[in-house]
Amino acid sequence: MVTLVSYIIVSAALLGIGVYGLSVKRNAMRILFAIEIIVNAANLNFAAFTRYLNPPQVSGQVIVFYSIAAAAMEAAVGLALILVAFRLNNTIDVRKLNKLKG
Amino acid sequence: MALIDIPPDLTFVALAAVTIIGAILALQARELIYGAVALAISFIGVAGFFVSLDAPYLAMLQIAIYVGAIVVLILFTIMLVRREVGEEAKDRPQSGEGSVGLWLAGLLSLAVSGVAALAGPNMPSTPPSGSLPVSALGPTLATQYPIPLIILALLMSATLIGALVLAKVER
Amino acid sequence: MVVFPPTTPQEVIALILYIITSHTFITIIIFPGFIHLTLVVMFLTWYERKLLARIQLRIGPLYAGGPGGILQPIADGVKLIFKEIMIPYKADKPLFLAMPLMLVLFAALPFAVIPFGQHWVIANLDVGLVFLFAMTSLFPSMILIFAWASNSKFPFLGGLRSLFQQVAYEIPMWVSALSVVMLAGSLNLTAIVEAQSKIWFIVPAFLSFIVFFIAIMAELERLPFDLPEAEPELVAGWFTESSGAVFMVIFLGLYMKVYLMSSLVTVLFLGGWWGPAFLPQPVWFIIKTLIVATFMIIPRGVYPRLRVDMLIKTGWTRLLIIALANVFLTILLIHSGILSAWGI
Repeated sequence: MVTLVSYIIVSAALLGIGVYGLSVKRNAMRILFAIEIIVNAANLNFAAFTRYLNPPQVSGQVIVFYSIAAAAMEAAVGLALILVAFRLNNTIDVRKLNKLKG
Repeated sequence: MALIDIPPDLTFVALAAVTIIGAILALQARELIYGAVALAISFIGVAGFFVSLDAPYLAMLQIAIYVGAIVVLILFTIMLVRREVGEEAKDRPQSGEGSVGLWLAGLLSLAVSGVAALAGPNMPSTPPSGSLPVSALGPTLATQYPIPLIILALLMSATLIGALVLAKVER
Repeated sequence: MVVFPPTTPQEVIALILYIITSHTFITIIIFPGFIHLTLVVMFLTWYERKLLARIQLRIGPLYAGGPGGILQPIADGVKLIFKEIMIPYKADKPLFLAMPLMLVLFAALPFAVIPFGQHWVIANLDVGLVFLFAMTSLFPSMILIFAWASNSKFPFLGGLRSLFQQVAYEIPMWVSALSVVMLAGSLNLTAIVEAQSKIWFIVPAFLSFIVFFIAIMAELERLPFDLPEAEPELVAGWFTESSGAVFMVIFLGLYMKVYLMSSLVTVLFLGGWWGPAFLPQPVWFIIKTLIVATFMIIPRGVYPRLRVDMLIKTGWTRLLIIALANVFLTILLIHSGILSAWGI
């Protein structure tokens, strides 16, 4: 039977995958993938909780709506930043992008 | 058809498998473009979860925005920041890092799942009957949360201008 | 009596008969599903060639059997199946072979929500219109992946141009459909058609009909928005490197999109399946859809091509402004009560 806890476990697994990608990967694009995975995990969590509330409420869906829009904006700006970093340093390896100069 | 009923457990497990395997492949695939395609598949899996949670409008929004816009942007940027083919193969974690990352991720998800499972008896195990109609989202957005809506619009304009200014090529 | 799982041969036959005559099976496989879709798409390819030929004062397909070369699509299909699929050097083989199939999948999937008659819809989703637009928004990314996987300059440039064009015209499409949703009060396509029982939405939302039609022609990359396929510049655009069965699948996908968008115009603006009762409802739907498809094919033989920067600028600036203006106009119309005579 599918309970709320099963949705939370899936969301936690996605969170773990995202945190792994965020902390280990060197390629800036993979770090962006990991950030999007984490945001998806949070959205899933919100949607699951709002479904299992009694009586059913729509406020969780509103939160997910905003979260999707905000994540889209953050991805756009993040990708623009990666583009600019590549143009200036010719690399997107975050280990080499650790100097504020230039 | 009423004859063949797919049990909800099967759809949940299938969706969970698609989402989690897609997420893992997105980070581990050798080529970035394969990673982006796997990420798109993972997003579609999350949209399937939204459908199973009685939020079909959110599911369609998820597909339209995440897979239809963000993945396109990601693909674009990947194609613009390539130096040579095979460069991404050097993204293997160095010694010791991979295991630290795995331990961190594993402990974090275990902690969250553990808290959820321990609070299990107090959490609802079956969803309340009756779901909200799709038309409940619009009036709530417009009447109860109008200010976040306007802030979102302003934020979007700021993001648009910011991204344009950032990515502009200086002559 | 039908029993599952069946044990005796009579039960097997009873089960098969039950499945074949059930409404679900008929709508998914026969109409408006798989078989009808394939037949109409093949007919549409023949129809386009004949119509263009007559506009250009020639005859078009003539010899492929039957009157007027009606079996030409089958002849094309057989020829393309027997051609060799050439995969370019160092192209990305899995993506190259998988993307055309995904294109056809996501072009055929939205047909599940389009109502061909009062009960002839496969899935009566409450968010039908948003589902359709979500599927439409997946096309640019798949085209880009296919173009990149071809590992060659012309397809890649064609794919980028196609991506810009399709992304630019999606928003006027959504915003002009918004006026229709406001008039009908629901996102359910069946409810939108049922709200047009007294008057077709093309009358109160005429401007948005025009914007929607132009945006659709740009989404489908038909002339005069044909630059991603312009021969003097890009050989054949994003599907340059496809040959044989790959090209056949892409070709079918393109015409499936044409049929999909024409039926969407019919549902949103032309009153769906409403018509005088001497013909059944799905026949009215198909007649109206074919008329819309005719008006999409005719400009191909008449107008010159638009340059790509003019194209994209028109999409983002002029069409979007007209669509937004029409949204406000629709709000005014609804609130002033003029349309209450027709039950809106």
